[in-house]
Amino acid sequence: MAKLSVRSSSNNDKKGKKKKKKSSGPKALTMKVSAPKANPFESIWSHRKFDVLGKKRKGEERRIGLARSLAIEKRKKTLLKEYERSRKSTEFSDKRIGEWDEELGEFDKAILRSQRELKRKLHKSSKFNLSDGEEDDYFGTQNLGALPANDDFEDEIIPDDDDDEAAAAETNKGAYRDTQQQGRLLEGEDIKRKSKKEVMEEVIAKSKFFKAQKAKDKEENEQLVEELDKKFESLVQSEALLSLTGSGNSNALKALVQKSVSNEHLKKDNLPAAGRTENFNQEKPDAFDRLVKEMAMEIRARPSDRTKSPEEIAQEERERLELLEEERQKRMLAPDNSSDEEDDAENAFVGKQKYISGDDLGDSFTLDDEHNHKKGWVDEILGRKDADGTESEGDDSAEDSDGSQDDEDGDSDDESEEDDSSHGVKHSLKDWEQSDDDILDTKSEDDEEASEGGKEQDEVHPKGIVDHDGPKKAHKSSIAKSSKDDGISEDTKKLKKDTKHQSKPELPYIIDAPESFDQFLSLLANCSNSDIILIIGRIRASNAIQLTEKNLEKMQRFYGILLQYFAVSANKKPLNVELLNLLFKPLMEMSMEIPFYAATCARMRISRTHQHFCAQNKSPEISSWPSSKTLILLRLWTMIFPCSDYNHVVITPTILLMCEYLMRCPIVTCRDIAIGAFLCSLLLYVARQSSKFCPEAINFLRTLLAAAVSSSSSPQNSQQICHLVDPQALGKLLHIQNPTNEITPLNFFFIMDLTEDSLVFSSDNFRAGLLSTVTETLDGFVNIYGQLKSFPEIFLPISTILHELAKQENMPDVLQNKFRKVAEAIEAKAEEHYMGRQPLRMRKQKAVPIKLLNPKFEENFVRGRDYDPDRERAERRKMQKLLKRETKGAARELRKDNHFLSEVKARDKAREDEERAEKYKKARTFLEAQEHAFKSGQLGNGRKRRK
Amino acid sequence: MVRPFAAKGKKRKKAEKYDRDEDGEESSSPAKKVMVENEPDEEPPKEDFHELEGIPIVPKDPKTDNNAGVIFILERASLEVAKVGKNYQLLNSDDHSNYLRRNNRNPGDYRPDILHQALLAIFDSRIAKAGRLKVVYVKTEKGLLIEIKPYVRLPRTQKRFYGVMLQLLQKLSITAAGKREKLFRVIKNPVTQYLPANCRKMGFSHSSDKLVKMRNYLDAVKDDVDLVFVVGAMAHGKIETDYTDDLLAISEYPLSASCCIADICKDLAEKWNVG
Repeated sequence: MAKLSVRSSSNNDKKGKKKKKKSSGPKALTMKVSAPKANPFESIWSHRKFDVLGKKRKGEERRIGLARSLAIEKRKKTLLKEYERSRKSTEFSDKRIGEWDEELGEFDKAILRSQRELKRKLHKSSKFNLSDGEEDDYFGTQNLGALPANDDFEDEIIPDDDDDEAAAAETNKGAYRDTQQQGRLLEGEDIKRKSKKEVMEEVIAKSKFFKAQKAKDKEENEQLVEELDKKFESLVQSEALLSLTGSGNSNALKALVQKSVSNEHLKKDNLPAAGRTENFNQEKPDAFDRLVKEMAMEIRARPSDRTKSPEEIAQEERERLELLEEERQKRMLAPDNSSDEEDDAENAFVGKQKYISGDDLGDSFTLDDEHNHKKGWVDEILGRKDADGTESEGDDSAEDSDGSQDDEDGDSDDESEEDDSSHGVKHSLKDWEQSDDDILDTKSEDDEEASEGGKEQDEVHPKGIVDHDGPKKAHKSSIAKSSKDDGISEDTKKLKKDTKHQSKPELPYIIDAPESFDQFLSLLANCSNSDIILIIGRIRASNAIQLTEKNLEKMQRFYGILLQYFAVSANKKPLNVELLNLLFKPLMEMSMEIPFYAATCARMRISRTHQHFCAQNKSPEISSWPSSKTLILLRLWTMIFPCSDYNHVVITPTILLMCEYLMRCPIVTCRDIAIGAFLCSLLLYVARQSSKFCPEAINFLRTLLAAAVSSSSSPQNSQQICHLVDPQALGKLLHIQNPTNEITPLNFFFIMDLTEDSLVFSSDNFRAGLLSTVTETLDGFVNIYGQLKSFPEIFLPISTILHELAKQENMPDVLQNKFRKVAEAIEAKAEEHYMGRQPLRMRKQKAVPIKLLNPKFEENFVRGRDYDPDRERAERRKMQKLLKRETKGAARELRKDNHFLSEVKARDKAREDEERAEKYKKARTFLEAQEHAFKSGQLGNGRKRRK
Repeated sequence: MVRPFAAKGKKRKKAEKYDRDEDGEESSSPAKKVMVENEPDEEPPKEDFHELEGIPIVPKDPKTDNNAGVIFILERASLEVAKVGKNYQLLNSDDHSNYLRRNNRNPGDYRPDILHQALLAIFDSRIAKAGRLKVVYVKTEKGLLIEIKPYVRLPRTQKRFYGVMLQLLQKLSITAAGKREKLFRVIKNPVTQYLPANCRKMGFSHSSDKLVKMRNYLDAVKDDVDLVFVVGAMAHGKIETDYTDDLLAISEYPLSASCCIADICKDLAEKWNVG
């Protein structure tokens, strides 16, 4: 108990301290305390360690000495008192009300006391106590009037509040009833609450008032409208408005006004005025009005024709051709019959035809066939126009292809040559092997077809693809055969007729797709190049795939035929370069239309060529280099199909085939070299887009160049050269013996036409041309393969060869320059690659940086706040901290209390000791004095007696 | 997943052992001369080793070769906390110029951003990444000494850096996130008591007459000596320290602290051949 009380007192102490500090401040304290006694320690201020800018000094400062002395004072007041009281058994305590509170005045104390008294009175336990006279008196004096009322009904007074409310409710009810019954009798109460009736009356009065108001408003409105009408009339009749508004509007207005006028009263004066205005308006129509009318009349934007689908275009083309064909036939008839009755004439003509063709079997004669074979006299102008029309279409694509070729020209001169040659490819050819094959094939096929195609055809067979026509084939073939026969016979007749008819025949506009190669050949017989193209164009137009489903088959067959025709014409000994060039365009276009079929055809041909090559390559006597036909076909495919694909069904085998040629064919003659060079340039063309690496081509070029160095060649050079070639022999072919100054660019087709023993091959001119071609191709490869990692290894040996070549005495200057240029280009690129190369490093590891640690900090740090995300834990920790601090404080206070008490005790004890010592001393002195007196005999009579 | 791999490894080892045993048995089949016989067996690999002498088998580890480290001391950094409004903030010239003027201070002196840049230059350098930085000490204008561990990831933005410094100045230490380790802490003063015994202390000042090329100067210093660089992180004035051996100028121009430190670190990295 003592402890608790002590603690509480100490707590009180603390609070008091704080309060005082806060309220009074240090100055006041010092004043207060220092007045009684000046303790020097109390005047010492504590100082803080760091001076923080902006921090207020107030909370920080402490006067430790002062605080201590204050605490001691407090203890003296509380603890000391308790301590002193602790040994006493009784105690006087003043329990008068308000006696301890110093702030209360005498009057307040009295009030408090009387209240206490009253409470005690009202307490139920004291209800039955007889009151003392004294108290009654007291009470009576307090509330005078209330007493008699309360006297009898004390019980009722206790639930005082309820009764009051009930009474109030009753009075209210009463009032309500009164108002209902007597109306306005109780006006005093009505002020507070209006009766229902009154309210209703009021509402009715209000509604009446509003109705009246409305009626009044309406009347006013009407009046206003009338006024407005009048004003408007006058305005309309005045010409200012008329000039402003349009005539039509003015009419309408007038009508309105007249209406209103007639409604009221007719005034004749108005009419002439209105007429006048009308006249006026009619004379001068308003610009705005006119505009409006014009706009109304204007043609609205109509949807334009949509872009035509390819099917529609094809359809139109065909229709146009049909029209032309009809016209042509009419024209043909015109000289024969009377021009007046064209229909009859035509019929007659048909009849005639029939009669003429009646020589033949006469069956299976379709109208188309008739058309096919009707070749009339020439209408030159129309024909030309037609040709222009068809050609203008095709020109675009032709130009395109030309453009691409031009590009190539720009790239390098070599290319130009290539192009020449490639042009040539289009044009010329002789391919002994395949042409034979083709012819054989067609023949055999025809045979087979004739024999109803019972046998399975070889895969190699190009017509095998057409096979999938299925069972129709037999039928068709029979028809085709018969029609073909007819056609041929007709053709011959026609031709005769044409020759009779002086000039060459006008071509039919609508030509059915030929069913077989022979038929096609007969169709084209004796036609000029441009006519052939025209015929092909018309066949295509009249059998466009877009027209009907059936045409697809027709066109596929026709494509096969056309390709065959192309191959055959490429194989002819004097190459028809122009024709090949012209054939390129339709072939390419048709390949676009039927890409799948075109690819299949190409693949078949390639595989056949490859088989042929393999067979040929076994026997060393026969040169296995590709024929002009193969070369031209290769060129065709590289142009038809995209070269940029990584893997393409046609281009990939094409490349492989070309590379194989370069690898496996032994170089024996100069022609071989030329073909090889051409293949290299073809490969360059393909590789330029796909940038595939063709080691065969580069090796071939290198072999050629090394051979050109030839006679003086070092053994190491010859070692690396292709094993198939005898360097010495090749050297002879390429080595330039005599100085030549002019270099003729090679014409591929020209070379292809030459025989192997031709003198041209042994001329230095040719060699120089060949070398320049090779160099330019090489340059192209250098440009393409510049990005390859192994570029230096591939090309550097070639550059040394080139340098050697450039040093040769008989080499023309132009060639020398070319060699040097290419060699320098190679070296520059190789140097670049060498620069970019990094040495190989053993077990290279990236340096690992040391592991870093993130500091933990708060964005807005406030001192003392717990930043624990777990709020509960933070709270708990806070409480624990508080508890710890409190315990510490309490312990400290207790310690100080003890210290204080012990001090007090010690002081008491010291005082007691002192007292006792004093007493003891006193007694002792007394005793000593007595003893002294006794001894000295001064005490009493004894001494005296003795003396 | 692990098991088969282990099994494989074991198998291979066994196989190797088996082979060796066989060889040994064959060679030492007559008697117990295994010890003698084994010696010639070990020779062939040595020969192989000789053949490849030019190529080091293991890459050189710079740490094992040289353990000398570098210590940076940033003097006179202006880190001061003040109560601005209700909160405590790190004083800087940008945000508190009016406040500072009101309190009769020169805003130009309160530049904690210099310290930030300098510290970034130190901790971003190659030598720090390679672990050659031993510790960084920062001494503030008020005389407070702060130790920063070399593996701290310093806040990249100024605001966050200020936050760290503010907390550091109030709590006197900053721990690593998720660890108890102290990355920043305030320590007792003379900094010399923390420096290693065998070290070379260099102060840098534009005012110094001793203009040196850092590369040449560093080359002259022995490799195994720890280096202590004392750089000022203040806007005006120069460092005044009594514990430095040398006071150098590395440029004729007055350089910023971060630039100076970057130069030093670069040259040092070259000298020590650090990645």
